[in-house]
Order: sequence, then structure tokens, then C-alpha cells
Amino acid sequence: MRRAGTPIGYVAAIAVLGITVVPLLFVVLGGFRTTAQINASPAGLPGPWVWDNYAAILGSASFWTFLGNSALIAVIATALTVALGSMAAYALSRYTFKGREGFYTLFTLGLLFPLGVATLPLYLWLRQLGMLESFWGVAIPEAAFSLPVTIVILRPFMRAIPGEIEDAAVLDGASRIGFFWRILLPLSAPALTTVAVLAFVTSWNFYLLPLLVFNDSANFTLPLGVATFQSQYSQDTARVLAFTALSMIPALAFFVLAERRIVGGLTGSVKG
Amino acid sequence: MLSNRRIPAAAALAAAIPLALAGCSGGTEPAAEPSGPVTLTWWHNGTTDPIKSIWAQVVADYQKAHPEVTIKGQPLQNEEFTTKVPLALQSNEPPDVYQSWGGGELASQATSGKVADLTDAAKDWLSSVGKLAESWQVDGKQYGIPWEQHFVGFWYRKDLFAQAGITAPPSTLDELNGAVAKLKQAGITPIAVGGKDRWPDAFYWNYFALRACSADTLKQSVKAVKLEDPCWTKAGRDLQAFLATQPFQPGFTGTPAQQGAGSSAGLVANGKAAMELQGDWEPGTMSSLTEDKALDSKVGWFPFPAVPGGQGDPAAMLGGGDGFSCTTRAAKACADFLRYLGSEPVQNQLAAKGAGLPMTASAAASLKTESLKSVFDHGQKAPYVQMYFDKAFPTAVGAALNDAVANFFAGQGTPEGIVDAVNKAAAGDK
Amino acid sequence: MTTTATRVRAAARPPAPAVRTRKPGARKKLELTFLLGPALVLFAGFVLVPIGIAAFYSLYEWNGFGPLDDFVGLGNYADALSGSVFQGAIGHNLIIAGLSLVVQLPLSIGLALLLNRKLRGRAVLRALVFAPYVLSEAITAVIWLLMLQPNGFVDRMLRGAGLGGLVQHWLADPGIVLYTLFAVITWKYIGFGIILLLAGLQGVPSELREAAALDGASAWQTTRHVVLPLLGPTIRIWVFLSVIGSLQLFDLVWIMTLGGPANSSATMATYLVDHGFKRYEFGFGSAVAVILFVICFVFALLYQRFALRRDTDGALTRMVD
Repeated sequence: MRRAGTPIGYVAAIAVLGITVVPLLFVVLGGFRTTAQINASPAGLPGPWVWDNYAAILGSASFWTFLGNSALIAVIATALTVALGSMAAYALSRYTFKGREGFYTLFTLGLLFPLGVATLPLYLWLRQLGMLESFWGVAIPEAAFSLPVTIVILRPFMRAIPGEIEDAAVLDGASRIGFFWRILLPLSAPALTTVAVLAFVTSWNFYLLPLLVFNDSANFTLPLGVATFQSQYSQDTARVLAFTALSMIPALAFFVLAERRIVGGLTGSVKG
Repeated sequence: MLSNRRIPAAAALAAAIPLALAGCSGGTEPAAEPSGPVTLTWWHNGTTDPIKSIWAQVVADYQKAHPEVTIKGQPLQNEEFTTKVPLALQSNEPPDVYQSWGGGELASQATSGKVADLTDAAKDWLSSVGKLAESWQVDGKQYGIPWEQHFVGFWYRKDLFAQAGITAPPSTLDELNGAVAKLKQAGITPIAVGGKDRWPDAFYWNYFALRACSADTLKQSVKAVKLEDPCWTKAGRDLQAFLATQPFQPGFTGTPAQQGAGSSAGLVANGKAAMELQGDWEPGTMSSLTEDKALDSKVGWFPFPAVPGGQGDPAAMLGGGDGFSCTTRAAKACADFLRYLGSEPVQNQLAAKGAGLPMTASAAASLKTESLKSVFDHGQKAPYVQMYFDKAFPTAVGAALNDAVANFFAGQGTPEGIVDAVNKAAAGDK
Repeated sequence: MTTTATRVRAAARPPAPAVRTRKPGARKKLELTFLLGPALVLFAGFVLVPIGIAAFYSLYEWNGFGPLDDFVGLGNYADALSGSVFQGAIGHNLIIAGLSLVVQLPLSIGLALLLNRKLRGRAVLRALVFAPYVLSEAITAVIWLLMLQPNGFVDRMLRGAGLGGLVQHWLADPGIVLYTLFAVITWKYIGFGIILLLAGLQGVPSELREAAALDGASAWQTTRHVVLPLLGPTIRIWVFLSVIGSLQLFDLVWIMTLGGPANSSATMATYLVDHGFKRYEFGFGSAVAVILFVICFVFALLYQRFALRRDTDGALTRMVD
């Protein structure tokens, strides 16, 4: 095992981590203060520690409703994106056919257009399809929006799997779909997990689409829930920070669970 | 194979366009009024207290008095209205009652054909609403009813004024400049302004225009959406001279108006600045930005001072209001509900709980602070009340005005440039 | 790689005859339809169709209410392109894109390399570095807005560290507001780059690095000549996504500065919302969106042709058909 690295590297890393962490601490600790405290002394630590914000949010039924809605939508959107995206990326990475690059470019178009602009037509379209006020009306378009990033990331990873493995699978009698399902997907675990995390976080934070699709507050997702602490002329900053801190936890948890797969994914099979 | 896949996509597109256009066309709704039990969906911006509980009480009371009516109140975050209302007015089921601020924006909404004309339904009681109702008229037809009014003036810290040796609030521009100088000498930031949000900057230009231009000029110019009188340029020059005294906090172009202690409201609330030109909502905003429980006793109000050389009445006020509009499906039931909102019980609650300025003088007696009562009095006695121009003008023109004034505050542009920006936007330039 | 195992298995079995003799094209078409079809339908239905309709709106003068009846052809496009504010906005986007390549990329690579080693508490470190990405842009903007106020958190930290001379009007000075925003963007999106690069680093076998070390290469040389080239495809994806993201920048700027002061931090997307949708000029806003799209599209085409070409040609693998 090599030496762990130069001191300068560590100092730099600590500096960067400090800059990263401090604003996050601001969010978490801000929830333990009152808005007036935050305003009087933005850089201060909680004093006295106020439990009311976190308690009130955790104790309110609406927070858990929002959490559940967000989770349901995010899971559906992520599953759809990863499933359909990996299949499409496989086709675009390991098959040759006419117009393949054209299709790939078509998918990248979704990244190139400011999707907020397409919201009005999308809303009318969803209304036509009767998908308003329903989780599918949010999850399905979110999955569609995440497809470009998913395919852009997955395609090079899938292409990098050596052809010899595929040949060997064919010799063993596997069909190409079988190869996809049994060999390629497990080998692509780091990339798949990466796109899953990205899709989940994107869905978790999506604001505009749930705003338009849902009028009934029972269906709201977490980003919409923040509005309850913001009025026309002011906002309850402490509540907003507490709410935000709590909202981050599921998405971060998903990342922590997934990141083992990102790193641990391929290293095992290389030793084989 | 490529061509095989292109066709379905093109067909979907071709099919979708008529759908989109069909969804866009308005005015096909019949005006049949449902009889019997009615459910009204009500979009309002009361997401937090005190207004949130007031509206909940209103719904309960109204439903008790009118058993055939059910009201489903839907609080929406204030900024979301500009996104959701246009879309809702595209659909076949817009909310029956929704919050509107009158002026040019309402005129745009009315072109959808889905906003109800309340002229007939309200003709018996509209006069009790007062002159403010005119701001919710489009081409002489009543498209909404206000329930709360607003006036803009200077909120100031009595303690900081005393510290700087200012004995009385200024009533002329000279006195205001003098007060600014004294505050600077005492090491106090004279005036806070929320330059980031642009509309607080516009208040200044609006008021200088109100002082420079006669009421008739104002009315005609707003109606024609054209600024031709030289008084408009004078307004800009007066503003320029005022800006030259550098009365604002450092970095004011980046200061938000209402969010956080660093906002202009927060600066005044925490005693870091002595004055702010804002609407009557200012005390409510300030109270959430400071720990100081005694804030109300330290804060006072005075109207925008008189400015020499203008044709405007020195007592004219800049203001606006909050209102609701109805959509065509249940217009009559909606109008009856809006009438209730203007009635004494509701207005008293609004005044007493500090949710805003009521429409009637009797309800104003319930206002809790002297400052708010003073605002109300000045508003009632004002010979002329002008709605803030960014709301009075069509939205695009109003936004162009605010942008031009904000740029002016940041040191870009000229007094003539502000007038040009408005006229160009009115002519359709972007 | 499982080469040992497959070699044993292959040796134990007689060579199989060539399999695909009947209708290879039809089978392949079927597989492609199954693999590509669902994603294509979903994408076409919920992304391409709305985009097409939005592009259609751009040909009209429309306030979002009532019917589309004021056809202006390319008038909106001419108005947008000739405006100085929009031209400035394009410039701002390009500055952010350039800075992201020069600043964010080395930072991401360095951090990813560091976080790839067996450090103690590595998982916690990774979660911390990724956490800003999990925050929504809206909340990020709100937090940094609070922290960047004059005499706010950032100013106090700097003064406390004796760096009081560096304090600026972070969001009010037109000359530096764009760079302040870039710093916030970097803070937020470092995590995205790292997660991507970590995944890419998994494809760099440790044997190669060990071999290089045995040959006497220093850590820096190993990184430069072994790791980075193998990380190439991942880096090239990151560059692509980062530039596109810079061109589309909206939420953070909108909440922190509204594109101000005096349009000094305007981006193409804030311009289209500010001068388009907020002013009920839906046709104009859609036209600006299409212009933004075309700029991104041109970049994407050029990038695919020149930068991604080597990845497309499959330097490491054979293409199967």
C-alpha cells in the first residue's frame, strides 16, 4: 500500500472540506435558532438552543406526507430512468445500426433546451392526458427529463466493457439481452448507481413540475412544502432551514447507501 | 429505419399543436350559473399567520351563513401566482376565486375570456368599496374586487432620529435632505433600500413623478401608456439630485427588500438604518426580522415629502391593494363571497390582527398602532391615489420601468432614458 | 476480468457452431426496438413534443392568455439578438463555462483522486462533499444570500481570519457579482463532478498504478500518465455536462441577484424569464429559449464531433454487431 499522500494535499483537502461543510452547518444549526436570532447575528451559534423548529416540523403530519410523496415520486422516476436509460444506452453503445448517432444526439437535445420553458406545453399535454394531480404526472416527465443525462453517462461506461466478455458470453449460449441482463448490468454497477443517485436527487429537488401538477396540498412534495414558511412579505428563516435540513436526509442517505456500490462495484471483479 | 422513427414523432407533434391551440383559446365557456350547492376553489396567498387563520375563520363563518356554499381555500406562495394563474386560465377548470392585484396584469388575464365581469353582480354594493375598485376595472368593466389597500410612505426609527438630533419628521424634500445629512453625521445609515428587488427603487421614481405631474397628466398617461409630458423627465431629474446625496446603505444594489436581517427591512428593524420608503406591510415584515419586542414603539411613519416645482399635489399618495377576481363558472357565488370580504366583520379582523389596511374607516379604528392609523388617514385624505406604476401599466411596461429605474440607481442611464424605456416597452419593443 | 474462468470453460466445451444464421437483421431490429423503444417514446412524448410546441410559440406575440393570433415570424428572434442585455448575458454564460473548465475541473479531479484512496472516514468525507449537490438550487441560493450579506457570515469569517481587506460587496458590485456566483456554483456542483469521476476511477485498475510505482514513477507522474488518460472518457463527459450546465444556468442566479445589479449577472435563462415570462411575453421568452437551445446544440455537435470522437471509435473495445 502506498503512502497516503503529501501533507499539502491533505491541507488542501481539509480547506476544501471546511468550505463545503460550513454552509451545511449553517443550515443544520440554523434550525436550532429562531429567525430573529439568525437575523440579529447571522454567524452565531445557537444560544439558546431552540428545539421548537425541528420538533414542530417532525411533529406535523404534513411534513411526513410531503416526505412520502417525494419519496414515492423519486423512486418511480429513478426506477424508470435507470431501467429505460440503461436499455437505451446499451443499444446505443454496443450495437451498430444506421442512425445510431442520430438517436444519441436526439437524446442529448433534452439537455440543451431550458426545460422550464417547455412547462406550459407540458402542462397542457398532461392535462390532456388526465395526468394532473397524480404522481405519475410528475414521475413520468421527471424520468423523461433525466433520460439524457443518464444515457450520456452510461453510454461510455457500457462501451468500455471489453468485447471479449461479450464474446465469451455468446460462446456460453447467452443471447445479447441475456448478456445485458446478467453480465453488463452488474459490471456497470458503478455507473448505474451514479445515474440512479443523480436521478433521485434531481427528482427530490424538482420544484416546477410538482408546483404545476398539484393543487391539492395533500399531494405536495417537500420543495413545495417550504412555501408554508414563506409569506408575501417575509419568511420564517429558521423554519425554512430546519425544513431543508430534514429534507436533505433521505437524499443523502440514498447517496451513502449507493456510494459503496459506486466504489466497490468493479474492484472485486478485477481481482477475479 | 431512421425515417420509420421520425414519422411517429412528427405525427405526435402535429397532433399536439391543435391540442395546444384548443387549450389556449378562451371564451367558449357558457356563462350558466349553477344553482343549488356550490363549491368554490379559492386561491389566496395567505400561507402564514395572521392572514392564514383569518381566512380559515372567514371560510367557516361564510359557510355557516350560506350552507349551500362550500369553499376550498388553497394557500399559494405569493411568487407562484404568476406561474400558476396563466396556466390555470388556460385550463377548463381555473379556480373560482383567485388573488389578483388589478391594473395591467388583470387586463392581460381578462383577455383569456375566463375572468368574470362582475359589473352587474356587484353594482349594488360596489360603491362601498371606494375608489380603489377602479384599479380592478378593465375598459370600464369590473373584473375583480379589492379587500385590502396599501399606501407607501417613509417608515422611520424615532430613536435614531432622536440620536441624530432630528426633532420632527421632514415634510419637504429639503428637510429630508437635511435629515439625511444629520444622520450621516451621527454615523447612522440614513435610508435603507432593497435595490436587488427593483420595485423598492421604483417607489422613489413613482413618488417623484407623483409630485411633478398633475393628477390629470397621471391619469391620461397611464391610460394611454405613454409618457409625453416633461413632468416625467423632471421626476427623473429630481430623483437624480436625491441619489446624489447618497442616502442609502453601502451595497444597496444587492440588498433584498424583505429577506433576512441584511434586507432593507431588516436593517431598519435592527436599528442599522433610520428610514425606508415602503408600504404599510413594513411593520409586519420588520417584526419577524428582529428580536426587539419593543419595535412598534420605536417606529413611526411620515408621508413622502413635498417636492418644489411640480404640478402634483403634495398630499397625493402612492398605493395599491390586494384583491380577488372571479372566473366565469361560479361568478355570482364568487361575487357574493367577495362582498362578504369587504364587510365589517372581516375588515375588523384584518385591521385588528395586523393583516393589512382595511377598506373602511370604521374598521380602521381597530388598527393597533398609531403609525398604521396615520397611514390610513393620509390615504383617506389624499386628493389623489396613484397605483404603483408597475402594476398600473401593462406588466411588460411596468417591468421595463422598474428595470430602468433600478439601472438608474446603479448609475446607468438618464432621466430621459427612463421615460424612453417606458415608451419603447409600450410600443412593443423588448 | 473473468478471463481465467472463461478460458477454462471454453476449453472444456467443443467450439460452438456459428449461431446467427436465420434472419439476423430481424432479430436485431426486434432487440433494438425493445431496448431503445420505451426510452424513445417516453422522451419524445414528454420532452420533444413540449419543446416543439414551445418553439412554435416563439413565432407569435402571445401574453399567455387567450388564443395564439399574433404571428410575428422571426421578429422575436431579431429583438432578442439585437438587445444589449441579451448579448451581455451570453457573455456571462461563456465566462462561467470557461471558468468551470479552468477551476472546477482540476478541483474535482484532485478531490476525486484523494477520496478514492483508503482514507479513514472516507465514506463520511464523500457524503460531506456530495451534500451540497443534494441541496436544491433554491435553498443554496437562500443560504448563500444570507451568508454573503454585508457584515454577514462570510465577511465576519474573513475579518476574523485577518483577511478583512478581501471583503467586498459580493452581490452588489457589478464587477465581481458574476465571480461570486461562480464560487457558489463551484461549491454546489463539486459533488457532482466527484461522484462522476469516482465512478470513472473504478475503471482504472490498481495493478497499473502499482506497476508504474514499481517502475519508479512518482505519484504525480503516475497520475498524469496513467490515471488521467484512462479517466479521459469520464472527464470528457464531465466537460460536456458542465458546459451545458453553465449555458443553462438559472435558479441560483435568479434567487441571488435576479440577474442584477443592472444586468451584470444576467444569464440567457434569467433573461428569458425576466424579459419573457415574467412580462407575460411568452412568445418572446420561447424565442430566447430556442436561441439558447441552438447555442447549446452547436456546442454539442462540435463537441461530439471533435472531442468525443475518440470515445465513439472505441479505442478500448471492439464494436459488436
